Amino acid sequence: MDRLARPARRPAAVALAACVTAVAAASCSARVGAANQGFVGAGAASSHYYPAGSRAIAPHVRGRTLTGLPFSLAADRGSVVVLNFWGSWCAPCRREAPALAALARRFPQVRFVGDDVHDSAASAAAFQRAFNVGYPSLNDPGEQVALAFHGTVPPQAIPTTLVIDRSGRIAAVMFGEVSYVGLRAVIETVLRDRVGQAAAGRGWHGAAGA
Amino acid sequence: MTADQPAPAGQTDAQVRLGLAGWLRWGWRQLTSMRTALVLLFLLALASIPGSLLPQEGINPQAVSQYYAAHPALAPFLGRLSAFNVFGAPWFAAIYLLLFTSLAGCVLPRAFRLARSAGQPPPNAPRHLSRLPHSVRLSTPAGPDEALACASGMLAARRFRTRRGDGWVSAEKGYLHEVGNLVFHIALLGLLASVALGALVGYKGNRLLVAGDTFANSPTGLDVLRPGRLISGGDLQPFSITLDRFTARYVSAGPERGQPAYFGAALRYNTSPGAPMRPYNLQVNHPLIVDGVRVFLIGHGYAPVFKVTDGTGAVVYDQATPFIPLEQAGLTSAGVVKVPDARPEGLGFAGVFLPTAVGVNGRLASAFPAALFPRVSLVSYAGNLGMDGGQPQSVYNLDISRMHQLAVRPVPLAPGQSITLPQGRGKLTFQGYRQWVSLAITYDPGQFPALISAIAALAGLILSFAVRRRRVFIRALQASADDELAAAEPAPHAVVEVAGLTRSDAAGGFEEEFAELVGQLRGALDRVAPASDAPVLVKGE
Repeated sequence: MDRLARPARRPAAVALAACVTAVAAASCSARVGAANQGFVGAGAASSHYYPAGSRAIAPHVRGRTLTGLPFSLAADRGSVVVLNFWGSWCAPCRREAPALAALARRFPQVRFVGDDVHDSAASAAAFQRAFNVGYPSLNDPGEQVALAFHGTVPPQAIPTTLVIDRSGRIAAVMFGEVSYVGLRAVIETVLRDRVGQAAAGRGWHGAAGA
Repeated sequence: MTADQPAPAGQTDAQVRLGLAGWLRWGWRQLTSMRTALVLLFLLALASIPGSLLPQEGINPQAVSQYYAAHPALAPFLGRLSAFNVFGAPWFAAIYLLLFTSLAGCVLPRAFRLARSAGQPPPNAPRHLSRLPHSVRLSTPAGPDEALACASGMLAARRFRTRRGDGWVSAEKGYLHEVGNLVFHIALLGLLASVALGALVGYKGNRLLVAGDTFANSPTGLDVLRPGRLISGGDLQPFSITLDRFTARYVSAGPERGQPAYFGAALRYNTSPGAPMRPYNLQVNHPLIVDGVRVFLIGHGYAPVFKVTDGTGAVVYDQATPFIPLEQAGLTSAGVVKVPDARPEGLGFAGVFLPTAVGVNGRLASAFPAALFPRVSLVSYAGNLGMDGGQPQSVYNLDISRMHQLAVRPVPLAPGQSITLPQGRGKLTFQGYRQWVSLAITYDPGQFPALISAIAALAGLILSFAVRRRRVFIRALQASADDELAAAEPAPHAVVEVAGLTRSDAAGGFEEEFAELVGQLRGALDRVAPASDAPVLVKGE
């Protein structure tokens, strides 16, 4: 029983910090666990942008939202999608929630979707009311949606935010808390991408963090 | 270990002229010496001490951040020394890499030497056989060549490896001693490699799973994950486990009352998302093996189900909440309920769950681990739970520093009963309980190779102890007239000298074997040349 703590479930990925600078790299292997930021500091973690041409296709994600409506990611093909893995119990998720809610209002053309893991629908609904979250979230207590990303860009921590381009490929990932400015820059970059056109070598640094 | 490494001759004056290659060779020799290996082993033990004295990030990150808060001056300094991540620290890695190199550097050359030695033919017979520990002289009517052919045939029949030279036969047996030794050394390397493999690409994780819930084997699905150095989150086998039911039975009477009699967790699992689920009944010490990953049942407890309605009438909390056992005899368990999004203020509850509640001297206690008379007793708080600052919290701790206690009469709740909170803050209902199990997930691809290596090492060691390497030399000379032996015999044609030598006779017994060999040789020589008299034993040892 040494699991009395379930704090920053999977703190940040330390090796990923190195990858943040190497944005042109086609792939980036993240080491989990041995991190020392996630819980001592303020949840700032790491992010990675994948240039067009080296993007993994997002898995077929479907399920029911917290309000019980059916949801399929494939229906959003053609739009840029921001997929945020969160839980109402997760303190960094609570801190980033206002930024996500505000960005969802600022970019009506971008589809924002949450994936609420390891949570109950009642607590999640209270969270969404409290932070005035206007977009839906998948009800994923068993993390089956998160697991579907195995082999592509799996969430390494809660929160994890993915930006999926118009062709349904994963364009960026942010492990840990996102900031308004950081995520806005990523969204703008992906919105400027033209599908299928390799914007090679372009990237940005440090979308995550304050 | 190369304790038998010869010291470089004339080291003292050679040191002055040591070039780079010399220094490298000297360093390598030092590194691969037994003394260095022992020192490194000791250092490894010493270096892991801080890992047990200080909280570790991989095991209890919460405790680390508490340590930072309690020791603001010391903690950052210790942090820079990786004292909170000892087993991932560069200096720890340096020690075990050096130890590995030292052991490999010691064992590998020995393995080569043993392999060479196992393939070598018997050596030349020494000139003076009588100087060897065991030796006899025989005379035979057969000629020297005949006698040697006969001896060589006899030894070959006894599965000696034989070699003939000019006037001598040399024979050796017991190469299995070397083979055993070689197997031992190679298995030792295999063991090292297996352990390294496990440490590099294996992982360990824990997960507390409430009955009815599902978890995914992923970095976010596990409560604690300790990955190997080459493991990334995407490398975890993507299986899922659902806990349908946990059954615990306890001894209900007698001196063992309350002792567990049976634990069983009815699970369903699949190997990838969407694959069909298969049932499994998980019991203590009988792990479920999925994709080579072992899932052990290591603990259990209760998760009372609470429903909280806030001041606006909205349901803001409705779930089973794992409580952690404080003691095993009655499974009195402690836990917290956090409702940060209740209105008008956040709510928090901390308390205990008593499976079989009894009053002892006016205090509540649990008399039995099964839930015969379940009650919860909670203290209610309102205010800021401190969760919005982004600082991760344990789900088992309630930060009440910015909360105030609510005036609620402290009555233990039975299932179905509620606490109505003052000032229209809503109410909490204890709806019942579910059970949880804690699962240990271990993936160690080095485990099986390590077992094989350990068995092979043991077998090799036994073989090398049980089998003696022994040599027998025979020289045959044409008897000359002035030989006292020849003179004593009517018609001896050859004097045969037989000598025996064993390298490692820890178990003893070579003397008997040698005597038997000599007896057989005498018989064989007899049959070759049935002389009037048998060959005469002249000189013993």
